[in-house]
Amino acid sequence: MTAFDAADHANSKSNVPSWRAAQMDSALAVFEALDEPTGVEEDWRYVDYDLPFAGLAQIEDPGEPLSDGPFLASLADNSGRVLIVDGQVVDVSSVSVSVSTLRDLESHEREFSVVAVDHNKLAAAHGAFANDAVFVDVAANQLMDSPLVIEVQGVTPNAASFPHISVTVAENSEAQVLVVYRSADGVELLMVPEIDIQVADGGRLRFLAVQSLDHAATNVVHQRMTLGRDATGRLGEVGLGAKLGRLDLGVSLEGDGASSEIVGLYFGEGAQTLDYRMLINHSGRNTSSDVFLKGAVEDDAQSVFTGLLRIEKDARRTSTFETNRNLVLSENGKAHSVPNLEILCDDVICGHASSVGPLEEDHLYYIQSRGLSKERAERLLIKGFFQEVIDRLPIEGLEAPVSEEVFRRFAQAQKEGRVV
Amino acid sequence: MSTALMVSDLSVAVDNKQILDGFSLEVPFGEVHAIMGPNGSGKSTLCHVLTGKPGYQVKGSASLNGDDLFSLDVDERARLGLLQSFQYPTQVAGVKLREFMMEAAEEMGLGTAEAATRIETESERFGMGPFLDRSVNADLSGGEKKKSEIFQMAVLRPKVALLDEIDSGLDIDAVKQVSEAVEAMRSPDLAVVMITHYSRILRYLSVDRIHVMIDGRLVDSGGSELAEELESGGYEGLRKRLGIEKVLEDGPMRKPADFFTETPFDV
Repeated sequence: MTAFDAADHANSKSNVPSWRAAQMDSALAVFEALDEPTGVEEDWRYVDYDLPFAGLAQIEDPGEPLSDGPFLASLADNSGRVLIVDGQVVDVSSVSVSVSTLRDLESHEREFSVVAVDHNKLAAAHGAFANDAVFVDVAANQLMDSPLVIEVQGVTPNAASFPHISVTVAENSEAQVLVVYRSADGVELLMVPEIDIQVADGGRLRFLAVQSLDHAATNVVHQRMTLGRDATGRLGEVGLGAKLGRLDLGVSLEGDGASSEIVGLYFGEGAQTLDYRMLINHSGRNTSSDVFLKGAVEDDAQSVFTGLLRIEKDARRTSTFETNRNLVLSENGKAHSVPNLEILCDDVICGHASSVGPLEEDHLYYIQSRGLSKERAERLLIKGFFQEVIDRLPIEGLEAPVSEEVFRRFAQAQKEGRVV
Repeated sequence: MSTALMVSDLSVAVDNKQILDGFSLEVPFGEVHAIMGPNGSGKSTLCHVLTGKPGYQVKGSASLNGDDLFSLDVDERARLGLLQSFQYPTQVAGVKLREFMMEAAEEMGLGTAEAATRIETESERFGMGPFLDRSVNADLSGGEKKKSEIFQMAVLRPKVALLDEIDSGLDIDAVKQVSEAVEAMRSPDLAVVMITHYSRILRYLSVDRIHVMIDGRLVDSGGSELAEELESGGYEGLRKRLGIEKVLEDGPMRKPADFFTETPFDV
């Protein structure tokens, strides 16, 4: 066990390559200087963060992996499996792409942190304490016809872990990556993953993350994707679990002709907070992006979406759109939706759409007028609401378990009279 | 023929504004009745009140095959056999037409296999095949939406069908097609109430009786001669014959801008 202080820091970096140890040293000073987020910061608005590092520790010997969950069983095929438990890479098996861990890269210095270490206290903690990582390198012209599966698990109580995944997609290759986050039942812990995605010229990536942590876990993900010329990045984000599940996502369309699509769904119940912060930055010309996020909250759950589409001065002929639709299914459920545009160039097409509200009366009336009971009509509408996202998830094969989980949650709440 | 739909002394208000005022109607099984009337006469309100849309203050009674309608919820009325073809069918994103009809057919007591077969057969008949696996009413033209409504009726086989302006917004070919579809639905177990404000559709569809509704009341009933009278003299002519004064409503408050436009600047 390593406490989050300078005295124990040497312990944390004892097994890493020297280049990484140097990075960890410089990040430690930043980590110590920063305060934990309190919710008053603009970037943490609406979020009640209360998980001081003083009560957490880093684990050297990861706990027992979890038994198989529902999401991978329906996947027809994969290009290998990687297992990360409590922040440590514990298994890499039958992979058909190049996968390295931090220890494999003794003499190959790599960029590590995906955000500036002073981005916030949690990013600084990742910079200072992340001592293992997975580097996925998809070679030029390589075509993956099934996803590489990366399971990220948290199992040890009061552990803070820093899973680190870097995906590099070389020129004209086609890659698929599936990340599934899970944690042990009822175990309080903090996970601060960083995901770094680089897609080179003409490369194509399909990436899906399914966050299905236990409701006692907290997950704060920093994820960045950079797209080269004519590169395509399709991201899917499914948010179901965690007490606080936060995704801080940045997409940078740097190359001319790059395009990205981000589709996502979230469903909050109990006292969950599901928090999405996105910045889509267009700097190349002729680039296009689409954000399509749908969510629902019931009980006392809340969701946050802030999405900024930023178009730089020289990014001519940009086409971009963001949509965020929210269903509030209980009296105490809350959904905050804040789409934003920052346009510094005049030759662009862009827009946004956002809504927050209950199921539409008109829809219920129409469905019921065909003989479906109110409860059945509501279930059909919930299914339909999310179906639009599920149909667009970038990795095939997870439609059924995702749809079933969303449906199960709503039906359960309906049965227990927790839906207004 | 026994009575399929009986509406007695129905008065309806919305926000204390009277829309229907002592409206009565009786439609036997096996017949097709048309209700005609000018805009704002309360035709659509009648459909929605019978279907069970919330938000109306309702007095009077209505029954289907002797069963009281107003004590039932929307879905219960539908399961009893009352279906409305909507004037403006709602788009429901993500809900596929086939899935919707499967669930509805199941609620109507059909087995899975029977429902699937009926959906296939009727979709072929109405050319709805390409729309079965698309979201309900999404990206459909006006004519396609009306066709979809009739298709849904053909699958769910109501005892009383309320067709609210099934002919509005359609080109002449689509009106013919929809009329043929309604004609094909005719059966001794079905009563059809068709709401329209044009007599156009009556050229393609034989109706047993025509009712005229003005200011929330049923003012006259008759056969095809009534449609002809309306065709030549309009609702104005009918008002004159029946001696119905035009009720002048309180107009909207005049805005200051109206005074300016009325000021004769060029004098």
